[in-house]
Amino acid sequence: MEPVVKFDNITKSYGSHVAVQNLNLAIERGKFVTLLGPSGCGKSTSLRMLGGFETPTSGRIMLGGKDVTRVPPNKRNVNIVFQDYALFPHMSVAKNIAFGLELKGHDRQHIHRRVSELLELVQLQDYSARLPSELSGGQRQRVALMRALAPDPEVLLLDEPLSALDAKLRQQMQIELKSIQEKTGKTFIFVTHDQEEALTMSDTIVVMNKGRIEQMGDPDTLYGKPGSVFVANFIGETNLLRSTMVGTEGDVVTLDWNGITIKADQGGLAPKVGGHLYVVLRPEAIHCSAAEPTSGNRIKGKIRQRVFKGNHTSLMIEVGGGATLNALVHPSDVGQLNGEDVWVGWKPETATVIPDRHAHN
Amino acid sequence: MRYMFADAPRATLTACYWAFLLYLLLPLTLMMAMSFKDANFIAFPIGEWTLDWYVKVMQDKQFLEACLYSIMIAAAATVSATVLGTWIAMLIVAEGIRGRVVIFALACLPAVVPGMISAISLRIFVSAIDMPTGTAAIILGHTVHAVPFVVVMALTRLRTMPGNLVDAARDLGADSVVAFFRVTLPYLGPALFGGMIFCVLLSIDDFVRTFFLGGYRPTLPMLIFAKVQGGMSPEINAMATLVLVVTAAVGLYAEFMTRRARTR
Amino acid sequence: MVSTNTTAGYPAGREASVPKYSTGIAKVVNSALYRYTLGAVVETRIGRIILLAGVPLIWLVMLHVGPIYQMLKISLTSHYPVLPGVESHFTLDNYAIFFRESLYFTPLIRSFIFATIATAATLVVVYPVAYYVAKIVRPEGRSKALLLLLVPFWAGELIRTFSVIMLLANRGAVNVLLREIGLIDRPIPMLYTSFSLGFGLVYLICLYMLLPLYSAIEKIPSPLLDAAADLGAGPFTRFRRIVLPLSRDGIVSGCSLVFLTCIGVFATPMLLGGPNTVLFPETISGFFHGASDKWPVGAAFALIMLVTALITAAIFMRLVGGKKRSAF
Repeated sequence: MEPVVKFDNITKSYGSHVAVQNLNLAIERGKFVTLLGPSGCGKSTSLRMLGGFETPTSGRIMLGGKDVTRVPPNKRNVNIVFQDYALFPHMSVAKNIAFGLELKGHDRQHIHRRVSELLELVQLQDYSARLPSELSGGQRQRVALMRALAPDPEVLLLDEPLSALDAKLRQQMQIELKSIQEKTGKTFIFVTHDQEEALTMSDTIVVMNKGRIEQMGDPDTLYGKPGSVFVANFIGETNLLRSTMVGTEGDVVTLDWNGITIKADQGGLAPKVGGHLYVVLRPEAIHCSAAEPTSGNRIKGKIRQRVFKGNHTSLMIEVGGGATLNALVHPSDVGQLNGEDVWVGWKPETATVIPDRHAHN
Repeated sequence: MRYMFADAPRATLTACYWAFLLYLLLPLTLMMAMSFKDANFIAFPIGEWTLDWYVKVMQDKQFLEACLYSIMIAAAATVSATVLGTWIAMLIVAEGIRGRVVIFALACLPAVVPGMISAISLRIFVSAIDMPTGTAAIILGHTVHAVPFVVVMALTRLRTMPGNLVDAARDLGADSVVAFFRVTLPYLGPALFGGMIFCVLLSIDDFVRTFFLGGYRPTLPMLIFAKVQGGMSPEINAMATLVLVVTAAVGLYAEFMTRRARTR
Repeated sequence: MVSTNTTAGYPAGREASVPKYSTGIAKVVNSALYRYTLGAVVETRIGRIILLAGVPLIWLVMLHVGPIYQMLKISLTSHYPVLPGVESHFTLDNYAIFFRESLYFTPLIRSFIFATIATAATLVVVYPVAYYVAKIVRPEGRSKALLLLLVPFWAGELIRTFSVIMLLANRGAVNVLLREIGLIDRPIPMLYTSFSLGFGLVYLICLYMLLPLYSAIEKIPSPLLDAAADLGAGPFTRFRRIVLPLSRDGIVSGCSLVFLTCIGVFATPMLLGGPNTVLFPETISGFFHGASDKWPVGAAFALIMLVTALITAAIFMRLVGGKKRSAF
């Protein structure tokens, strides 16, 4: 299927500063795609280029099969939900939503039907005559979303739209956004620096760093099999064990980590013996027990710090040679870990290896 | 405000305020009181009171004509100053404009040049472009005088405008012109309204520019000036009182409206 | 514009308030007239720039700079308006006249003295008032306290000047009152003197001082004064070491504004001053009105006044303000 949006070798630079570098990205119709990365990684610039507010220094942007690289924002069939909503303060909710429809030249009946339909979708029927200043943060968010959806864009762009909301409302809005996307079947391109938002809502996550795509994939893959140290660190909490390659048995590699022999999934790499690798080990993949586990990787360690976090406890465990591991322990398992001593274990297939870019192997 | 000095300075400052207010209002109050004096000359004490002077003023064709003329000039100058001032302010805040500071300085120039010099230079300018003195020249002069105030007021408001409101309008299909008329202009509304009232008062009040640019038809200040120089009677007081009451009411109304708009 | 169809379709009550969606805007934007004119212009970058900058730049150059330029040009010619049969040529004579005759020199000096004294007096009178409104009045009462002071401001230059006459004339309020209590037998002549002129100038301009001072003082965080008091500073020290330096911007812009306004006042000196208080604007005016029109001389004098006034204001800003800042 023809992708609805295609970034074709896009570069954007401001003077000597390169914001986006050789970006190639194709986005499938009807998907919820998230551009994820730290501030300054080029995700917002990419979004603004797609919206028409920035012109790429080089490359082409295709929208629905047409080259829109130099088309002004008012002639593009994409709409943006802005970070601080940018609702028109002098217009009522209904007038805000109708703005794009009015400019498309629809008749009054049609506009009224469409506005009512959209307000119903977010249960704001009773608020149509209110001014934006008379709404709560969540309501403004919904109005901004509906205003952008009203002209029926091919792609909806969302520029960190949840960042102004408090934590509880943010979680609620994540679910609502996802459900609206599913109901309308629109392509959503969502920009955020919050990995949790990305994991919750996306069909596809594009992790960006320093103007380039670091990795792209569905949330499971990105979390379970990060392709780089950056991705592993950026998405979720992680233990990164810098290890030396010892040998391979099928899919499982044997490594040496600070003198401790461990096994991990080889993750599609074909590392050389003696080369350096990182093992990505998620805290929740670690199993802590008082007795020595019978299979898998197992190391004896000492608990140095316990942090109670409600639904789990986070342990910092020293495993010799000054190295430490973070582990998450379920409340029902904490009881047996009274003393300092603990056995740390994990199954080889729950850990994956990624190359060490700085090493020359 | 508990942050203040001990009570003595505080009481002194309070007294200062009320004394100052008295100082501001006393001459105007005396001026108004005198308009009710039943005599042909201005002198205290007032003695007999009458409304005759008001009756006389309201029948004074010269006064009524001067009022109309002043209002007409003020309306024309205000409309042109508002359009130009807003336009200049839009240019100053536009993205990627070089020489912003120079443009702003030029826009403020007529407000910095002392009134007398501004009037002289306009008189010379008008003559240099072969424009006759009279209504058009006065309107031009008043417009030049008012533009800086509109620019400053519009800029103040534009600086509080969220940058992406115009982006949002463009995103939803508006070109720059439509975005200006549908989003920027309504946003500027309250500030421009305040600015317009200010321009009206500025124009109605102006004496020196009108004095140099005017023809034979007197505006309100010209009329009052001529009457004060030509021998005083309480008729002038009645005239001035009427003008004062109307302008103060307009000013208060404008203040009230802009304040209400700002709190929304 | 509302079609009866739309409004009639809804029952009375909240739903009757269906917004009047402006479908007209699309009609305008999609009309051929718009698309081939304004619409086409804003499509291009050059078009947008011309639309945005054209009129403002022409206006600024023509009417903000133009008059001053014309004045400069004429001040350097021997004759203007040029009469038939007379040759006009370049000359600096018009400026030389000013330095040759004390008849012209004195009014300028007098103008500066009056403006300086009036500015200083205004500052002293208005500062406590601005301080009171900004720091002692409770925030919710501030705009009311300010508004009361603004009422006379709307009266206009001439009416305010005229009202000063009511106060100071021989049979004005002050003299009559003094005679009533028996302090004087015959009226003190106050009108048409330096006193009445000074009094009138201060009365005319004091509100231009109030607003800049008020906004500067209001911005001083009150906890600063608390902190100073906590460190042992008395009221006078707090004023001198904290309030005064931090309100410097307001003082600079207020004083410049008042000074420049004062210099250019025309009607007030003519109504309140006497033969011994002729100010420079009146002198200049003489070259433009009356039998002996001498525009080039008048233009030269106006420029001398403009330049000296601006230099004075600039020196003041540099001395007191320290930093370079515009008056606005």
